[in-house]
Amino acid sequence: MKITFRLNGETVTLENAPVTATLLDWLREDRGLTGTKEGCNEGDCGACSVIVTDDRGAKALNACILFLPQLDGKAVRTVEGLSGPDGTLHPVQEAMVTHHGSQCGFCTPGFLASMACAHLNGQTDYDDRLAGNLCRCTGYTPIIRAAEAAASEPVPDWMADAVPEAEGGSEYAPSNSDELARIYHAQPEATLVAGATDVGLWVTKGLKTLDPVIFLGRCEDLKTIDVTETEVRAGAMVDMERWRAAMADLHPSYAEMIRRYGSVQVRGAATLGGNIANGSPIGDNPPALIALGAVLHLRKGDDRRSLPLEDFFLEYGKQDREPGEFVEALSFPRQADRLRVYKLSKRFDQDISAVCGAMRITIEDGRVTEARLAFGGMAGVPKRAAHAEAALRDEAWTLETVTAARAALARDFQPMDDMRASAAYRLDAAGAMLARYFAEDQGLVTSVLEVRA
Amino acid sequence: MPDTVQPIRFGSNSGQPVSRRDGIAKVTGAATFSADNSPANLLHAVYLPATIARGRVTHFDTAAAQAHPGVTHVITPANRPDVQGDPEAKPTLFSFRVEILQDDSVRYAGQPIALVLGETLEAATEGARLLAPQYAAEPVATDLDDGAPFDIEPGGFGRPQGMVHGDIDAGHAAARQAIDVTYETPAQYHNAMETHAIVAEWDGDRLTLDVPSQALNMSCAAYAYFFGIPAENVTVRSPYLGGGFGSKAIPIGPNILAILAARMTGRPVKLMLTRQQMFGPTGHRPATRQRLRMGIDATGALTALDHESLSASSRFDDFFEPASNASQGLYAAGALRSVHKGVRLDIGTPGPMRAPGEASGAAALECAMDEMAHAAGMDPLEFRLRNYAETEPGTGKPFSSKALRDCYLQGAERFGWDGRPLDPGQMRDEAGLLVGWGMGTALFPCPMFAAEARATLRPDGTALVETSAADMGQGAWTSLAQIAADSLGLPLDKVAFNAGHSSLPDGGVAGGSGHTATAGTALHEAGCDVIRQLGEIAATDPASPLHGAGNARFVARDGHLFIEGDDSRSEPFTDILARAGGAALTGSGKGVRPPEVGQEFAMSSHGAVFAEVRIDPELCQMRVTRLVGAFAAGRIINPKLAESQLMGGMIWGTSFALHEKVTHDRTTGRIVNADLAGYHVPVNADVLGLEVITVHEDDLHVNVLGVKGVGEIGIVGTVGAIGNAIWHATGKRIRRFPIRIEDLLTA
Repeated sequence: MKITFRLNGETVTLENAPVTATLLDWLREDRGLTGTKEGCNEGDCGACSVIVTDDRGAKALNACILFLPQLDGKAVRTVEGLSGPDGTLHPVQEAMVTHHGSQCGFCTPGFLASMACAHLNGQTDYDDRLAGNLCRCTGYTPIIRAAEAAASEPVPDWMADAVPEAEGGSEYAPSNSDELARIYHAQPEATLVAGATDVGLWVTKGLKTLDPVIFLGRCEDLKTIDVTETEVRAGAMVDMERWRAAMADLHPSYAEMIRRYGSVQVRGAATLGGNIANGSPIGDNPPALIALGAVLHLRKGDDRRSLPLEDFFLEYGKQDREPGEFVEALSFPRQADRLRVYKLSKRFDQDISAVCGAMRITIEDGRVTEARLAFGGMAGVPKRAAHAEAALRDEAWTLETVTAARAALARDFQPMDDMRASAAYRLDAAGAMLARYFAEDQGLVTSVLEVRA
Repeated sequence: MPDTVQPIRFGSNSGQPVSRRDGIAKVTGAATFSADNSPANLLHAVYLPATIARGRVTHFDTAAAQAHPGVTHVITPANRPDVQGDPEAKPTLFSFRVEILQDDSVRYAGQPIALVLGETLEAATEGARLLAPQYAAEPVATDLDDGAPFDIEPGGFGRPQGMVHGDIDAGHAAARQAIDVTYETPAQYHNAMETHAIVAEWDGDRLTLDVPSQALNMSCAAYAYFFGIPAENVTVRSPYLGGGFGSKAIPIGPNILAILAARMTGRPVKLMLTRQQMFGPTGHRPATRQRLRMGIDATGALTALDHESLSASSRFDDFFEPASNASQGLYAAGALRSVHKGVRLDIGTPGPMRAPGEASGAAALECAMDEMAHAAGMDPLEFRLRNYAETEPGTGKPFSSKALRDCYLQGAERFGWDGRPLDPGQMRDEAGLLVGWGMGTALFPCPMFAAEARATLRPDGTALVETSAADMGQGAWTSLAQIAADSLGLPLDKVAFNAGHSSLPDGGVAGGSGHTATAGTALHEAGCDVIRQLGEIAATDPASPLHGAGNARFVARDGHLFIEGDDSRSEPFTDILARAGGAALTGSGKGVRPPEVGQEFAMSSHGAVFAEVRIDPELCQMRVTRLVGAFAAGRIINPKLAESQLMGGMIWGTSFALHEKVTHDRTTGRIVNADLAGYHVPVNADVLGLEVITVHEDDLHVNVLGVKGVGEIGIVGTVGAIGNAIWHATGKRIRRFPIRIEDLLTA
């Protein structure tokens, strides 16, 4: 398909962009820009990070799981484009040399893309901004020092990227959800590509040939977030970074989980709809959304239907979605924030959950009036804990009740043993999350992140 | 060294925190790594890794692979062209047996079993997939308990020698208190950020390779062996390595296959391992199980330190982790013993990985020392000081230098170790989290290999220094140039440095923490050789102010030659050379340690690491909140580089203690977490407080530079320090690394 984007300030038009070629391969193999590195080819290491700018601004993304058609109408800046036309170094480049943030140098171009993007956006939460870039040499400290040192320097003028007009108009890239509905209905065998953080791996690791493919990136009407007095509604194409920002005020515990669930590079690409539609038993959004009482809105052609999110997940690998039907949006009631989301993973940041628990328990006059407990990693699908909920509902909000509900979890779940955790540990940890909810509700600090030496 | 030249111990360049000279190339993307090279007419090679761990390949769908558009060649054991060398042979030091499709057997999961060449990477990748191998699989053994332990026959690299000093039985018998504990460490894979990659191109019987190499000239010799050509016909270009950590010192099988493919096709061939393939024929740190028996007398002095380690290796080659050697040189004990045992499994051959032996061995030793201290009712630091070795334990040899006591004291002070409760579980922070403090001692030997260098002083007063050094991130481009500039008495900006190319004088091996010492000594000697020649010219030149100073010693400083102790007599280099006809002067040097020095002295770097952890009492999530490491490693050439090396090592220690481990599927023998999503290394957010102190040592014996080495020691004490801190926080002694949440929940 035909696409136009800007690369380091220069307009590039590809008449026949291969549909599932990645930006990384294109940069290195076709364009000869080898500064951007391949460290893992699946979005884990960040060595391939580049800056991608669209109408909403600039973000760092992993080039290894970014298909060329996703760049239509956007601007890309690689490590080669960070210094000025006359060779003047970008402040983060200068600082990385001075502070010895580059040792072997292989991760450096990716770090620089993340750093320059944060610098451009005025973001100084470096631990988060750089948590998606792995380094095996430095111990990270010199890199953070470099980022801090460059923070006060002005953004070089060459970093301002104008966004070109998208080519669009292709059957592969509908520009709104009505077009999408029509195209997908006509070819229900097509693979929908939202952020490609999952589908990208089908290609780079699974070596699948995807044909046909429909890119959803131009469906702006699927990217809206509407917060009214009574409802929160999000389009399927809302990316996780925007969703995190939206949740920060409404449900901060959920927002904090999103911060940990993927790097900025992944969060900037991954979408809410994608995380639901792929049906993973360890997707981290569904438990939180189920606890919030979310309703999923599906569309097929001109037909629409809605169902409680938990009913969408039928069994492992199987969802209640017909051929040609797609996730259009998701909504849940505006509510007082009683949600807590706990993500347990082997590595603290950017790791797949062993258990992800989300709980919303409302209390009136010391009694539980409503309890919604949903867990990922405990079954073949994201699932509510019906017995534990029943053990809480209408009972006094006491440690005894919580203890009884913990015990009831064993009737809700028979988790599996795998590399990430043992079955016994999963069950134990799920119960501990409930205990933690109770402890927090009593005013205790329970997060290691809130601890200060 | 030439006696006419004053030893330069602290020149104007060395000791300075110079920024790395390759920094700008690296931050602009201009630094070229091997896989960045794409010569014209390139073919891409992809190897197919075995998906069983033991058995035979019975069938390939060669026709399907061959028929795929863009696939040019399919190479299997049935049609692989001959190589001249024997894949079972070990042509150089550090060599291992290689898998280059010599037969249809499978000896571990991930072993290369076929090679596909294509016009594009996609075509070759798809061709490899289409081969759809069928196997006759046999039952596999991948766990330490799956094999029968045996005594290792000592025999050089990979087959460590056990040792006994004193009467170990008497030592055990004399103990008033004793412990007998067993620790386990997992298999770990290097996973440098740059995967292995090679671009091979033949021109007649001459071979040019773009390949990351920690030992350029040794690699040339090894590649030459396999292809029956002289070593000088092989050129290795390796200006930058994207990390090595021990895995890029010697040829691996896939590289040899790529070279073979290039010879067969007459075209340049590129092969780059995927991240998943980095868990294959690349070496790794093998799993160990270590039993430590210690006894102390009534004063807390060790009567016996008895360390037995069991290490996994492959079924077809020998590399056993020399873990119990870690107990040899550190603590004064009435009797010392280290024993090495092995077990053979259906895994790839292990190899040296950052701090081989010491990292795993000290993890167990330092935790056991804490257990012994606790049994004795002593503070862990006090207990270590009680058993401080003033001379090398067992041999009684003097240390060439040893500022470990200062490391302990400075590290403890910076950390705030005073007031640490002896018993565990005593500290909580204001949020109710369990807090624990632990420490560990670090030791790493400072070997030297052999290197050569050349220095050329040009008539314009600038110099070119050359050696085939390897910079895998540690900073050879910078620190070696600083050494060379000092030896020539020139400012750093007047010295060009040429390295990373095998046509240069042999820079030796970037490994064992010995590269700066070895290649640095060679460069130093080469510079001194030039200055000596310059002195001879000046002394015999009647027009020189230095004329007639033949018996004096010369000092080179800032481009001038002085008579030592007489600053009134000097002359610029350029004037001396101009009168001598304007030709450049070339000197050469070697970096080796005279054997008698090693016989006379024990030589090691030392350090002390202090760790703080905070642990959620409900969920047992662990965070390392502070690490302070104090290290004495001789003279520090470049503090900026050295500090970063030490910090990087300490992060490896954190990773060892809490993260890294491969898990095998017990049925298939495959590694189930062969990617960076499942094989965890710390991300930035895992690293909280991290501080490094370097303690000065003036070592007159290790080498003329007084340089010991900092590449590996950072990892060594850190693992134990974290394990001990976790115990101190919780009272739970976990004797298996990495320490996991469920270990604490169930302990």
